Amino acid sequence: MKRTVPLMIVMVGGILMMVQYFIPHQYSQVIFNNYLEWAPIVGAFALILGVGSLTRLHSHKIRRKAQNWQYSWAVLIPLFGMPFFALIVPQSLGGGSDVHGVHDFLFMHIQVPIQSTMFSLLAFYIASAAFRAFRAKSALATILLLAAVIVMLGQVPIGDVLGKWLPNTGLWILRYPNLAAKRAIMLGVGFGMLATNLKIIFGVERNWLGGAGK
Amino acid sequence: MSAVNIWEKMLNVDRRWIFLGIGIVSIVPFLIGFGMPITTTIEVEGIFNFMNELGPDDAIFIGFDFAPGTQAENMPMAVAVMRHAFHNHTSVFMTAYVPLGKGMAVSALDYVTNPKTEGFYERVLYEDWVDYREAGITNKEELTVAWESDGNALPEGAVGWVFEGRDYVLLGYLPLFHLVILGMTGSIETQFPVDYHGNPIGDMPILMEHKSLRDVDLAVTTSGSSACVAWITYAREKIGLPIAFGVTGVMATDYFPYIQSGQIVGQMGGLRGAAEYEVLLKENGITRTTDKAFTGMDVQSAAHIFIILLIVMGNIAFFAGGFHKQTKLKGRR
Repeated sequence: MKRTVPLMIVMVGGILMMVQYFIPHQYSQVIFNNYLEWAPIVGAFALILGVGSLTRLHSHKIRRKAQNWQYSWAVLIPLFGMPFFALIVPQSLGGGSDVHGVHDFLFMHIQVPIQSTMFSLLAFYIASAAFRAFRAKSALATILLLAAVIVMLGQVPIGDVLGKWLPNTGLWILRYPNLAAKRAIMLGVGFGMLATNLKIIFGVERNWLGGAGK
Repeated sequence: MSAVNIWEKMLNVDRRWIFLGIGIVSIVPFLIGFGMPITTTIEVEGIFNFMNELGPDDAIFIGFDFAPGTQAENMPMAVAVMRHAFHNHTSVFMTAYVPLGKGMAVSALDYVTNPKTEGFYERVLYEDWVDYREAGITNKEELTVAWESDGNALPEGAVGWVFEGRDYVLLGYLPLFHLVILGMTGSIETQFPVDYHGNPIGDMPILMEHKSLRDVDLAVTTSGSSACVAWITYAREKIGLPIAFGVTGVMATDYFPYIQSGQIVGQMGGLRGAAEYEVLLKENGITRTTDKAFTGMDVQSAAHIFIILLIVMGNIAFFAGGFHKQTKLKGRR
């Protein structure tokens, strides 16, 4: 029963949503509208579950003084602090509606710089990795390397200065060989998703129930 | 010291020297500013030309579908498109696919309407022009004339007025945004009963003229993830809404198939795409100057040259030292 009911819900729901997409009838639209209303509600329960689980995990770590337990405070304080300032105390502490609130201040002066910094670090690691790993060890690796160099130069203004053929060749690589390869990958992924979805809907694939399909 | 040792030393150079090099080439061009010319591509021209055809009766969506991590690339795109729309008096809806995108939308709007920004737009908040709405003055031209005839003058440096609820509305973020897109194909108001500031959007002139995505002319999604594809799946394929992409440089290669298939009108790829849009805005007299993306391209030029030099040096050392014949290097790094 514990497995049959979820399987039935998935099968009925999956088939219903597949079929309704192709039927432009008012009943079909009613089903679709109901789904649009229900899905965020179900999603909200998942949010409660997620926040509850995260809180339980990290409070447990703090209580047990597990390794690096101090970092758990760095999770829990913003997890509850940001919603607190956004929902409970949305006003700025200085007063007045034109001044951004504490939540906006924390967002702009902590979250934005932190995320931007993390992403910017990529440039440093990419440079180091390119120096150590980008080798023309074989014919295919050489083609990859040459394509990368041409596209890199073609994407920046200095490529135009060095010669018009650089940006033109770079764009040709992006518009034709790259496009063909990407389309092939997208089609493969698409068919794979379709097959996996059908397997889930018809109960062939049951790993999502837990217990590795037992 | 043998020649082989020199090559090995070169390959095992302390990575901190490489980090220092990247740091220098990222900072120096900002200080000097080469201002190298940028040629435009058909991918960006496609978006610009589409936008240029839109007028006061039209509306666009700008999706701030990115987090602060990619704002260096995505923000200039959103800002450039927003300026173009404001210049043409095209209405702008602003949404966010990810929670942090809402803050990005606020930042973009603050930037475009900041008096310190070259060619800024003077913002009129929704509650500030309530008397005009109650008097039935909601037409853009009539509203501007009535507003200015009541003694409101454009500040020095401003290039125009933008009225909240008339020229733009900030809708913000909602969870499961792909479902929100689907819902907006029927009605925008059912998904967003109030805007970011809590104003009921059903009373806004912008909503009265554009009730659903079917009444919208273009959605420009500026994205740092695959979120942009949701606009294709749920808006383009369902109701035929034209879509334009503004994506990060590393993602740009992924979406060329959508351009060829005609599912998107164009794509701004990375900082280069944003810089191209800025150049087009300037060349067509929509803005007086280029903006941050154009300045950033000097940095990108220098960084790319530096990385290519590293690749060349690494390969020279690798082959000259005979390491291609060995299975692994002896070095520590």
